[in-house]
Amino acid sequence: MKNDRFVVDQQETDEEYVFHLTGELELSVAPQFRSALESIVGQTEKPLIFNLKDLTYIDSTGIGIIISVLKLRDELNAPFIVREIPDSIKRLFDLTGISKFLHDEL
Amino acid sequence: MKETISLSLPAKAEYLHIVRLTLFGIASNIGFSFEQIEDMKVAVGEACNNVVLHAYPNKAPGMLNIQFDIEEQGLDIHVKDEGTSFDYENMIDKSATLHDKNLNDITVGGLGILMMQALMDDVQQVRTHHGTEIILSKLLRRNEDLA
Repeated sequence: MKNDRFVVDQQETDEEYVFHLTGELELSVAPQFRSALESIVGQTEKPLIFNLKDLTYIDSTGIGIIISVLKLRDELNAPFIVREIPDSIKRLFDLTGISKFLHDEL
Repeated sequence: MKETISLSLPAKAEYLHIVRLTLFGIASNIGFSFEQIEDMKVAVGEACNNVVLHAYPNKAPGMLNIQFDIEEQGLDIHVKDEGTSFDYENMIDKSATLHDKNLNDITVGGLGILMMQALMDDVQQVRTHHGTEIILSKLLRRNEDLA
């Protein structure tokens, strides 16, 4: 069985802050992810990117975190981009209706 | 034909992946598609989240009991607690999708129930003497049905 432990890989380049998410984003790891985001989410000088290519599972807690980031970045008028959403997760974003708020480029 | 597999674990978030692993094993054994299993994992995960978050508010976490009933036509998953009833009926009203909302108006409450209902064929809530039971049902769609 593949190890689906949740890992956040955080990278800062000259152009952007990238969070590469791996594994299962759900209730038990929500505090870990929120604290990883805490110092970055309010930084407005560079776009904030989530790359979901290796995300294997998300629940309403994880979707809730994405919604709170969307709202905060919108208030700050700061770019937020979600890239490479796997099909199984895109289905859930479509189902709940958050897809229309997500952008995959600037 | 009905066979039952039960799982009993502390109602803590750190154990919920065991429920998903068990569900994966049972559902793939009886022939559900990968997509159907993914749907069930999310729906059952949401029912379990509700137990972890709401069933035992003022005391040490109680138990989360999962019963998998393997039926001829599919799988019924019972998610049971022995705590405070989650106000499921009331939450259904709040479980509207975000499709017709603006970013400022959207809230996260109700998304879990929305997904449970959308991803399963049937969702029932039963209040027991001891707590609450959610029954999530998924029908096996056999190949000949698709033809």
